[in-house]
Amino acid sequence: MDDIKWLQGKGKPGIKSFFQDILTRGLIDTVLMPAKNKKGNSYAWFLMNKDGFLETSDPIPPVMTIQGANILKNITKKGESWSKTAVVLRPCELRAVIELTKLEQINLENIILISFDCPGAYPLTQYISGDQTSLDQKYDSSLYTASFETERNACIMCDKFTGQGADIQLCFLGQSDDGFLISAASAKGKELLKDVNGTNEENLEIKTKKRDELLGQLQKEKNEKRQVILDRFKETIYGTDNLLNVFSACINCHNCRRACPICFCSECYFESKALYSEADNQLNRATRKNALRMPSDLLLFHLGRMNHMSISCVSCGACEDACPENIPVSLLFSLVSRDTQAVFNYDPGHSLEEPLPFVVYKNEELKEYEAHYTKRHQSACNCNTK
Amino acid sequence: MNDIKIVAFLCNWCTYTAADLAGTSRLKYEPEVRIIRLMCSSRIDPVFILKALMDGADGVLVGGCAPGDCHYSKGNYYARRKVAVAKTIAESMGINTERIRLSWIPASEGPLFAEVVNEFTEKIKELGDNPTKNEVYL
Repeated sequence: MDDIKWLQGKGKPGIKSFFQDILTRGLIDTVLMPAKNKKGNSYAWFLMNKDGFLETSDPIPPVMTIQGANILKNITKKGESWSKTAVVLRPCELRAVIELTKLEQINLENIILISFDCPGAYPLTQYISGDQTSLDQKYDSSLYTASFETERNACIMCDKFTGQGADIQLCFLGQSDDGFLISAASAKGKELLKDVNGTNEENLEIKTKKRDELLGQLQKEKNEKRQVILDRFKETIYGTDNLLNVFSACINCHNCRRACPICFCSECYFESKALYSEADNQLNRATRKNALRMPSDLLLFHLGRMNHMSISCVSCGACEDACPENIPVSLLFSLVSRDTQAVFNYDPGHSLEEPLPFVVYKNEELKEYEAHYTKRHQSACNCNTK
Repeated sequence: MNDIKIVAFLCNWCTYTAADLAGTSRLKYEPEVRIIRLMCSSRIDPVFILKALMDGADGVLVGGCAPGDCHYSKGNYYARRKVAVAKTIAESMGINTERIRLSWIPASEGPLFAEVVNEFTEKIKELGDNPTKNEVYL
């Protein structure tokens, strides 16, 4: 097995030393990963070279402050990186990166994507207002056992928590905390792994098997849990009335859109002149109904956004973290995207080769959504669609 | 029941021309439909459909060339995908999808256009007022 290696190193410091090692030995020039912010109460992203590798950097931080795909987009949107950069991403961030690459917002040239078995994350507000030292401790100790419990909706129902699709995957599940597995999936990854100082010992197979077993079981459990949570949630939002109740606290800040990695448009339709209404228009609408909530078009924004991005939604939960009113937006979007993705049998972030549903079509499909003939004309009309 | 209103987004080359033909042939069809002309049915953004429904339209008709006949060769295939997504979202949110209709009406089919409009209007009348019409909290 030349695409998998075992690396000795205890816990988080062990994982960190892997990055330090590949930096100092020049296997990569730069690394992009989170580190503690200046005050030390949260995390931010840093681009670091070998002399600037921060002591507080953490490849697997207990919170997702900014969706990593947004950071990578900012760096490579206008062209490729000239420095060989490793980017450490959560699985959901990785999936967003793959979607954004297909949407031509990210250039993967010279970028090595590294992902890992993700235990989940704390909700942002809980972490910021809590005792970070004890929260960190609790988080780090659950890395190898998948026993981390969180209140973050997106993580509770996450069933794609491995780095599948990355160039390099760090695997902790089912391992003892004195080391971890590194596996390479692409040519880029294999090239890097070749020079990594890992052992290729004989019990590697046992270790891999142990992970696969735990993984299979976990994925099944989590997937069932996801379906149950979404089905139960659907009952509470079904119908315009319920939907308006869910969104009733919305303050139209559009933070969910700004935090969303898939919402990349530099000018959003919902903030553009296209939806700007004159006083006349607003007054007319209000007069017609005798009263109207202001600002109007609350539901239109959320439903419209679903139309624009639910096909590529990776269920990362960045929208919900950003919501100041604690609206369960990530549940809503996960629910809708489950249905819209099923229409095209599309799995966002799964592979770069799978085309986006809106750029391809089939001649014969989706007949159940069209109603082209009336009953009487069905027999008389000679325009053949077959 | 108030007057019902149906918003129709029609492609310039087929369905709009069919509507034109229905008019010049002096065909009578239900007057509730308001037509908006698009250069191609794929110009439809699902948000147009939603905006109409949220602002109190009782039905939305999207019309384009029959598959294979698109003036731009494949626009209507994209339109179909977009309408499919809009309908799926409406369905999972519990909004009545019967208020959205996608029909292919070739340019020469004036009578078919009249027929589609009549049939759709009848359907909408059956469904009654769109609940968003008097919804204050939208």
